[in-house]
Amino acid sequence: MSIVSQKDYQAYKPRGFTTSDKEKVTLLFGGLTWRAERLLEGVFHGSGYHARALPQATKADLLRGRELADVGQCCPTAFTAGNLVNFLLDESKARGSQDVMDSYAYLTAGSCGSCRFGQYHQSYELALSNLGLDAFRLFFMDQTNPDGAQEGGGLDLSPALLSKAVLGIMAADVIQDVEYQLRPYELEAGATDRASQLAVEELYQACQDAKVPANTLGVAAWTLHSKGIMRALCRARRHFDAVAVDRLQVKPKVKITGEFYLQTVEGDPNYNIHSWLEKEGAEVYPAPVVIWLDYLLRFNSQYWEDRPYLPRARFNLAALRLASKALLWKYDQMRRAMNGLPHRVPRQHDLRDLAAPYFDGRLSGGEGDMLIGKAIWAHTRNKAHMIAELSPYGCMPNTMSIGAMAAVQGAHPDMLWAALEVKGDSEIHALSRCQMLLTEAKSRAAEEFDRALHASGLTLSEAKARAAETRQPVVRSLPSRGASGTAANLVLDLGGAEL
Amino acid sequence: MRIPILRNASAKTPSADRSDRNPDLRVGIPRILNQWSTPRFWTAFFEELGVKRRNVVYSSATSDAQQKQYSQGRGAVDCCYPVKCISGHYGELLTGLKKPVDVLFSPKVVSLRSFLGSHVVDCLGCPRVMAGPESARGGFVREGDSFAASGVRYVSPVVNMSEPMLLARQLTKALEPVFPGLSHDETLRAIEMGWREQDDFDAESREVAHEVLERCERESRPAILALGRPYHMDPGIGHEIENELQACGYPVIWGQHLPLDTQLLDRLFGKDIRDGSLASHFDISDVWKSSYSANTNELIWAARFGARHPAIAAAVRFSSYECGMDQPTYTPVQKILEARGTLFFSFQDLDATKPSGSVRIRTETISYYLERHSKRIMDRKRALLSGDAEKVRVLSESDE
Repeated sequence: MSIVSQKDYQAYKPRGFTTSDKEKVTLLFGGLTWRAERLLEGVFHGSGYHARALPQATKADLLRGRELADVGQCCPTAFTAGNLVNFLLDESKARGSQDVMDSYAYLTAGSCGSCRFGQYHQSYELALSNLGLDAFRLFFMDQTNPDGAQEGGGLDLSPALLSKAVLGIMAADVIQDVEYQLRPYELEAGATDRASQLAVEELYQACQDAKVPANTLGVAAWTLHSKGIMRALCRARRHFDAVAVDRLQVKPKVKITGEFYLQTVEGDPNYNIHSWLEKEGAEVYPAPVVIWLDYLLRFNSQYWEDRPYLPRARFNLAALRLASKALLWKYDQMRRAMNGLPHRVPRQHDLRDLAAPYFDGRLSGGEGDMLIGKAIWAHTRNKAHMIAELSPYGCMPNTMSIGAMAAVQGAHPDMLWAALEVKGDSEIHALSRCQMLLTEAKSRAAEEFDRALHASGLTLSEAKARAAETRQPVVRSLPSRGASGTAANLVLDLGGAEL
Repeated sequence: MRIPILRNASAKTPSADRSDRNPDLRVGIPRILNQWSTPRFWTAFFEELGVKRRNVVYSSATSDAQQKQYSQGRGAVDCCYPVKCISGHYGELLTGLKKPVDVLFSPKVVSLRSFLGSHVVDCLGCPRVMAGPESARGGFVREGDSFAASGVRYVSPVVNMSEPMLLARQLTKALEPVFPGLSHDETLRAIEMGWREQDDFDAESREVAHEVLERCERESRPAILALGRPYHMDPGIGHEIENELQACGYPVIWGQHLPLDTQLLDRLFGKDIRDGSLASHFDISDVWKSSYSANTNELIWAARFGARHPAIAAAVRFSSYECGMDQPTYTPVQKILEARGTLFFSFQDLDATKPSGSVRIRTETISYYLERHSKRIMDRKRALLSGDAEKVRVLSESDE
């Protein structure tokens, strides 16, 4: 029998974040790579906030998230809600609940649909409420309309701060890309990781020190120029240049795609798939966040493309297209600071066109048509031997893309595409499925390398000798001569051949 | 309540030249997902384009037999059953009809029209509902194009049903190959006709619900509010649980058909509007911040209506296995209803299997509670509405 309460149910409404809170409250955030999180810490610290990234989510967080929120969550919700709650619980044991509620606030991205990503807060709120931490403050930054002050006036996500945050995330993408292209070929184990740590610290300092003008034009000019961050990237490159590598080791290249959280993080939430693949002898082609940012711009552009009858439609469309061009130009500038080694970002119109026969680009939710577009792009443009698609259990949009991939596989039966459902606690099933396809990918990489040697007219020892003679820097643009594998492309380049 | 959409569209429309069109065209529509809340729209829409009403053919309601016969080997993903069963409906329309269809029309519904439209953030569909047709199609083209093999043209446009202008552009583009010479104005007029028929049906349903609720309140008989997605009215998905409850003697009213009569709404929500806690009868921002999903918004609003209406002594929530849109709403919906003492029950994780035994036990339980408590619940809700705090206190104490 239900009991009548004195008050009608009310949705959670956090206390405001006041200017005095800025002095004493630490903003928590998470859900990205350690590199991006460290640089975001720099951005917040430089803007006068106390900020701290949550620890990497673990299986214990998954279980906690499942325990405290409504049943049927998708796996990222359970991981992220549990991650926050476990951190707060640990802190509460040391400092007491009231102190934790007063000393921390959580900042995360939100959205206005269509998937339940925009409703994650409901799970966070319920989990916190179930622990008696109702007064803890959660703040949401709408990723489609991110700027603006939160209630209380102390937390101002100004264009200047957001601009720094975007550049920080892009710089982290660039570092990650370089790292994943070096580590599989390093001659001294751990050298790349050490270089990456040093590189990120260079950039952390630059993000912290960046002074961005408050006015719109000033923000735009700073974003395009951003001398401090660009210089830090050049310094970061030197750390990587010190890593000795042998790129003539034959390794299959595996492109990571999937749901945003799972493809981005490196840890238990995706069964440590990045490091697992490297241990299994693969070169991982990671998923940069910048593609997602460009996708958001593309999707918003489509809104105006479809509604030319609305006021300012042409202006808004032009502004969004310009923003996309500026974003990619900036990313390319960052790539150039790394001598062009980081991968070029696939263009959105390209991905949309590739996916169009199978999935409508107007469908919102999750990564939309990008999962399909990226898989076809990686396969048909020789970007990877295999695609590992990370699909969270319970993810609504992702399952639909996987369904549509049935048609793609019909049209591209030779595509090595591993759709890995990630529940968080059934690792062996996902990894064994991945391993089956990886075996085939290895054999394709080896066969491709043999063809490359044949086409270039070199033997392996001749190729090695010639590579040693060229004495090129480690961080440099790698050739693309029709093969997917790094070693095969290098041999083709040394022999001046194409596949 | 009729929602105004396109004014004077018909007045501007020149008579279209239909000589190139097939007068006996048959259009097949899968009876899935949001078709359970918009079928009259589509029937009238195609009729206005010249398709004979009897040639607008819907697949049958979802059933085990349908799924076994027509979807074997077609499904490519494990997801909620309402989306998974699209394949069975496609298969039936492709190969299961005595008289085949020429077109299989399966819109990808991005947004829906809603009476809450201007009071919420957005009226989007669920991402699986939007993209379900793409996923289902994959299973029919993977090993050869089954649509072409059956001589059926597959038409599956993205549609924003909450935006008439955009909807007309989308449908004109998608249907022009089927209806040669189809103009934007002709489509606009068909959309207007479609909504007119759908509105008439909805108004009638709401009127019947109003009468039932009035009668229940007058006679102090409890009614049950059924809270679910439109497709839970599909006997193969909702498993006709509402009929079992009705068989126990309780009128069951779906949230989708609740009355929108201003006088009634003023009785339920007027006080909150006057004291500033609600902006309008349709404001749900105080209980549901992320109001971008059309069906979720209406479900939350229906829960609030049910919490306040004195005749509704119990609410029964339906939810399908792995429904991502429902998951975050479980606790708010329950709390909204229970805050005013309405009994709350739920049938969650509904799937292909009809759980007859457990449904019977649950309906007996619901019936038992209603027999025992409904009078006091209804009295207390009436007292809450009239602001009689003393009576509320006495009735609540008698509960304890």
